[in-house]
Amino acid sequence: MSRKKIILFALLIAFIAIQFVRPARNYSGQASLDNIGRVFTVPKKVDAILKSSCYDCHSNNTRYPWYAEIQPSGWWLAYHIKKGKSELNFDEFGAYSRRRQNSKMKSIENSIKDGTMPLPSYLWIHKNAKLTKEDKSLLLNWVKKTRDSLSLKH
Amino acid sequence: MPGTGSASPESPTTSDNAISGLLTNYIEIKNALVADNDKEAASAGNAMANTFDNLDRASLTPEQAKVYNDIVEDAREHAEHIGANAGNIEHQREHFETLSQEMYDLVKSVGANQKLYFTNCPMYNNNKGGNWLSETKEVQNPYFGQKMAKCGSVKEELN
Repeated sequence: MSRKKIILFALLIAFIAIQFVRPARNYSGQASLDNIGRVFTVPKKVDAILKSSCYDCHSNNTRYPWYAEIQPSGWWLAYHIKKGKSELNFDEFGAYSRRRQNSKMKSIENSIKDGTMPLPSYLWIHKNAKLTKEDKSLLLNWVKKTRDSLSLKH
Repeated sequence: MPGTGSASPESPTTSDNAISGLLTNYIEIKNALVADNDKEAASAGNAMANTFDNLDRASLTPEQAKVYNDIVEDAREHAEHIGANAGNIEHQREHFETLSQEMYDLVKSVGANQKLYFTNCPMYNNNKGGNWLSETKEVQNPYFGQKMAKCGSVKEELN
């Protein structure tokens, strides 16, 4: 075999080998007791937006795309989900301290206003996760109400 | 390093209270933001997260510990994010705003072995305003940096 062929063959073997290293799925299969909807009022429309645009990386349940089956893209997804959940997890929101809840609401507000979330790389695949103008104003309104209720709780 | 104020040789060996390390880090972040220096703000932010991790809670009274425990989780995260956002100073400033409120609450409870000035800039965040703690009475604005260094007024003197 030529040198080129050997390299291609080695790459193929490596590609097949990594398919067996599969990250654990982000899937809990049950409603979380600390979900944000249990501690704050989340209107149906807002809930729907959160689920379609945020929950894949910010909850305990991800709807995986087909390419999650193929490595290394599955690893890449797992990394993003892990990072996203550590920043903000709507399924653990109720367990956050009051201060942290308030900070997270502030960050949600900022990232919607600045357009930094959902991530461009996520929107590239999930076209319907893109927030419309109405979605944004619904979310911002809800964030404001939630923050007001938080300051009253103090 | 810009030669403003930060050169005073505070001796760290004098009997500091439990949070003086945090305050040192916080003031470093503040002065870096005043100087529009995102990299220094980031390294001070990382240092502050580290100080949180190693803080000795034993010297806090139960009341002080209550305030500390209330802020630590969130404040540590703000420090960490300031550390992770070199290159995005506006984002560092957003985190600094909440961190400032938390440090204010902490100083109110634990005290500090230095004089601090709780200062307000009414123009920050689309005129919603932002507060911070300063070691100087003279206003040096961390939210607008050199663009509007003098914007703000002292609301309260602490200690």
